[in-house]
Amino acid sequence: MRERSKSLWLIASSREVIKVSRREIVICIGCPMGCRVTVTLGKDGSVTTLKGAECRQGQKYVLNELKNPLRTLTATVRTVDEDFPLLPVRSSRPVPKTLLQPIMRETARIRIKTPVQAGDVVARNVQGSKADLLATTDWSGPGGEG
Amino acid sequence: MVSKVDVAVIGAGPAGLAAAISARERGAERVIIIERAERLGGLLPQCVHNGFGLLYFEKDMTGPEYEKAFVDKANSLKVEFMLETMVIDLNEEGMLTVVNRQQGYKKIKPGAIVLAMGCRERPRGALGIPGERPAGIFTAGTCQRFVNVEGFMPGSRYVVLGSGDIGMIMARRLTLEGAKVEAVVEIMPWPGGLIRNEVQCLHDFGIRLLLEHTITFIHGKRRIKGVTVAKVDRDLRPIKGTERFFPCDCLLISAGLIPENELSKKAGIELDLVTGGPVVDQNRQTSVPGIFAGGNVVQVHDLVDWVSWEAELAGAAAASYADKGKIKRADQIRMVAGENIKYVVPQYISGKDDVTLHLRVSRPGLRANLKVGNILSKRFRSVRPSEMIILDIKAEKLRDARTLKELVVDCKLEGGD
Ligand code: SF4
Repeated sequence: MRERSKSLWLIASSREVIKVSRREIVICIGCPMGCRVTVTLGKDGSVTTLKGAECRQGQKYVLNELKNPLRTLTATVRTVDEDFPLLPVRSSRPVPKTLLQPIMRETARIRIKTPVQAGDVVARNVQGSKADLLATTDWSGPGGEG
Repeated sequence: MVSKVDVAVIGAGPAGLAAAISARERGAERVIIIERAERLGGLLPQCVHNGFGLLYFEKDMTGPEYEKAFVDKANSLKVEFMLETMVIDLNEEGMLTVVNRQQGYKKIKPGAIVLAMGCRERPRGALGIPGERPAGIFTAGTCQRFVNVEGFMPGSRYVVLGSGDIGMIMARRLTLEGAKVEAVVEIMPWPGGLIRNEVQCLHDFGIRLLLEHTITFIHGKRRIKGVTVAKVDRDLRPIKGTERFFPCDCLLISAGLIPENELSKKAGIELDLVTGGPVVDQNRQTSVPGIFAGGNVVQVHDLVDWVSWEAELAGAAAASYADKGKIKRADQIRMVAGENIKYVVPQYISGKDDVTLHLRVSRPGLRANLKVGNILSKRFRSVRPSEMIILDIKAEKLRDARTLKELVVDCKLEGGD
């Protein structure tokens, strides 16, 4: 329970959060509307009411955000190519929020050889998340476009 | 002189690429993009984060992925590129003067022109912060280039001034790269960027967002050592006694973007003092016939998807202009920003066709009632200056307004702030 309130504290707007475990406000980021969703939780931590989400996708997001917040990780990894020192990468699927920093540490040592193509796998199953890190751009060497 | 160019597009960022593609698709034979950098994509290559393409492709893409989709399409449509080429002049007749290393100095008179120069970051000088002038102060976008493209970290302890999207995104990026972000300092009572960035870039990492605060002093002789931050009152003046010192070795400025319109001025194009971009009609034609504009050069968008959308309008209209020698101006009705509206784009509409309005409110609030003259009203649960409002109006709705010269847009707040 403590863990849950803490993560809620981080995701809810610091101005609006009500710091009791019974009622929480989660900002949905599913689209630019940014609905402020009020969730009340029963004594056992289960969701009793959920108000303020404009759509079902948002409701799902909020419930998930309470249970298991996921984020797509985007970053860069080093290459051995002076003309293209960094390769932008993303996770092939969203990963638990708590794994973002551990994945960054795991992949800090990677060095990529060019040429490389968007979609190439840079690292597999990072931190046991079942997500791979994928290149997000093509680089065919100096003079090569994009 | 070169052989005839139908449409010339200035800038190869997301706007330029979309404009060129849509001009080709509308039948323009020769479409050239003129770009001063050595590669395509504008800022997209350095925006390695996701959140692009959600509307346009209904897919969550990163900047480089979004760029690739457009570059591939432009290539397949045989759009031509002039890279490392500077447009040094544009006149009222639509004559472009360009320079590059291979061809030197050259004039081009295309059938139509699309301005797609994008925008620039507001630099520190424009903010007038007192204190020393040490090294270690960058705009957020410059820092983004260092960290995401060139491959070095300009510092290890940061303060970010302004809560624009790039600033918040960089706060997360730097944290993920192992740096410490002490605070994001925002003078207004609300954040300057999108909600999703506030949540995912700041709250996720426990980064402090100090609303209604500003930097009152920059410390450090050679290298920045820290900043003094103070709370501000309602008139945005620092309050004595609230000063706090934050140590840092880097200060990032993320205090807004300004459409880049040096060329537009040279061509004598009428600019909107609020948006900072050209005054455009529904087809994105500027006050100079044959010159169109789309993307951040017209208005600073929140989402690249709308940049592409707007540039497509401009590109398509430019193609018809190049084909027919002119197109009807769609400037029968002037759109006027009324109560709590900062601006409306386009500034002119035809009144005969469906139109999509882009607008921003001046103040945020709950339960907003948005009205376009008395032809349309729409309720919003909440509005914020940082979230652009998009409003589709069908031609039938405009029927009654056709005799009008102006349409006023208001956004009353019924629920307070
Ligand atoms: S609840 Fe639906 S409408 Fe509201 S922000 Fe989330 S996705 Fe958008």
